[in-house]
Amino acid sequence: MKQLTYVKKAILTAACIALCVVLPMAFHAIPNAGNIYCPMHMPVLLCGLVCGWPFGLLCGVAGPVLSSLFTGMPSMAYLPSMIIELAAYGLTAGLVMRFVHTKKTMADLYISLVAALLAGRIVAGASRALIFASGSYSMEAWITSYFVTALPGLLIQLALLPAIAFALEKARLIPVRYPRTAG
Amino acid sequence: MSFLPAGSYREGDSILHKMDPFCKLLCTLLFLTAVILSDTFPGYLLGAAGLLAVTMVSRLGLRTALSGVKRMWLFFCLILLMNTAFFETEQTWWEWWIFRFSADGLIQGLQVVLRVAMAMVLGNLLLSASSPLELVGAMESLMYPLKFVGVPIRDVAMILGVAIQFIPAFSEEAETIRKAQTARGARFESRKLSEKAGSVVPLVVPIFLAAFRRADELAMAMEARGYRRTKGKIRKRRRHLSPADGIGLLLCVLFCAAEVLL
Repeated sequence: MKQLTYVKKAILTAACIALCVVLPMAFHAIPNAGNIYCPMHMPVLLCGLVCGWPFGLLCGVAGPVLSSLFTGMPSMAYLPSMIIELAAYGLTAGLVMRFVHTKKTMADLYISLVAALLAGRIVAGASRALIFASGSYSMEAWITSYFVTALPGLLIQLALLPAIAFALEKARLIPVRYPRTAG
Repeated sequence: MSFLPAGSYREGDSILHKMDPFCKLLCTLLFLTAVILSDTFPGYLLGAAGLLAVTMVSRLGLRTALSGVKRMWLFFCLILLMNTAFFETEQTWWEWWIFRFSADGLIQGLQVVLRVAMAMVLGNLLLSASSPLELVGAMESLMYPLKFVGVPIRDVAMILGVAIQFIPAFSEEAETIRKAQTARGARFESRKLSEKAGSVVPLVVPIFLAAFRRADELAMAMEARGYRRTKGKIRKRRRHLSPADGIGLLLCVLFCAAEVLL
């Protein structure tokens, strides 16, 4: 497999959007896991990394909307801010993955992931400070909610997503980023 | 399967089933706006009455309409408890340490629970009374203005339609994987964060692999049958609204206006 076709990218995006609904439900079986692991972030980030920024953006927008319609979570009050945050994750992951080529897949994945996680958190914080909680949102609240409380989730995402990407490469479900040339 | 999502399509010949899907989607959005806008007791009562009327018209039954809400009872209890115990107010029932139990908190919690529950019932009714294909068509029509800023709306609608069809299959797969990993000794209920984190890996990686495998098979089948990216002009289908569609839309507008006034 040399490159993902448009149809395959579209269907993989559909799968990631469906996972945005299914993963949080599966995590509800684990006590308090939804808050700790942020399960909806994983498919969006992976979609951006694998399929590119337009698909990552779509996954970030459609995932929480469908999840809200099917399961009622996130609630309508949090939906807009969550859409903005997840859209930023998908968009940045795809964009950075497109432009960064270090010749090492692991390095590319980590650079894109860290950039996406930071950009998403900055955009989410800015949207809360300027739109959703204008005037009552502080820097401390942003650091606490997006870095301290979500630290286990952040670490798990950083550990799990490259592992999933490599597992998918190994299973030949996505193309190898730097194929070994013969000789 | 214990967590098949609510809102799977159920066949029927009610007025709601026969309504134009685009009209149904518009009515749902209007109804949802009304539910979000309501913040008084008569407003909530009107919302509940409206939902009951739609449930009766849909002939889906209260059980189907409330199926998603029932699964969330623990979450609703938690929201209610947290609002009652932590709401910032002067008049409290009882204070102890960081807890401030108050009537205002209880009312605030009830409002949040009612809004979320009503939105869930509404989404559930829309999804139960519309086939995935109908929903794709309706979403395509709703997104039509985005075409002018270069969004490939037909492809986006196709992706959303496929995603909706994937959800029940992936739910079943996720539940099977969870049970299999529990049988192999994964400790999901452990209180230790390290054990909890360790138990997530054997759950998440197989779910992703199974989902991507299924998606890969579907993509190959679609390509083999000649599916390609939508290009060129999208012909907008002419829609003829039935009297039921017109009455439904009118009722929803009136309902929204009543909620604003109340």
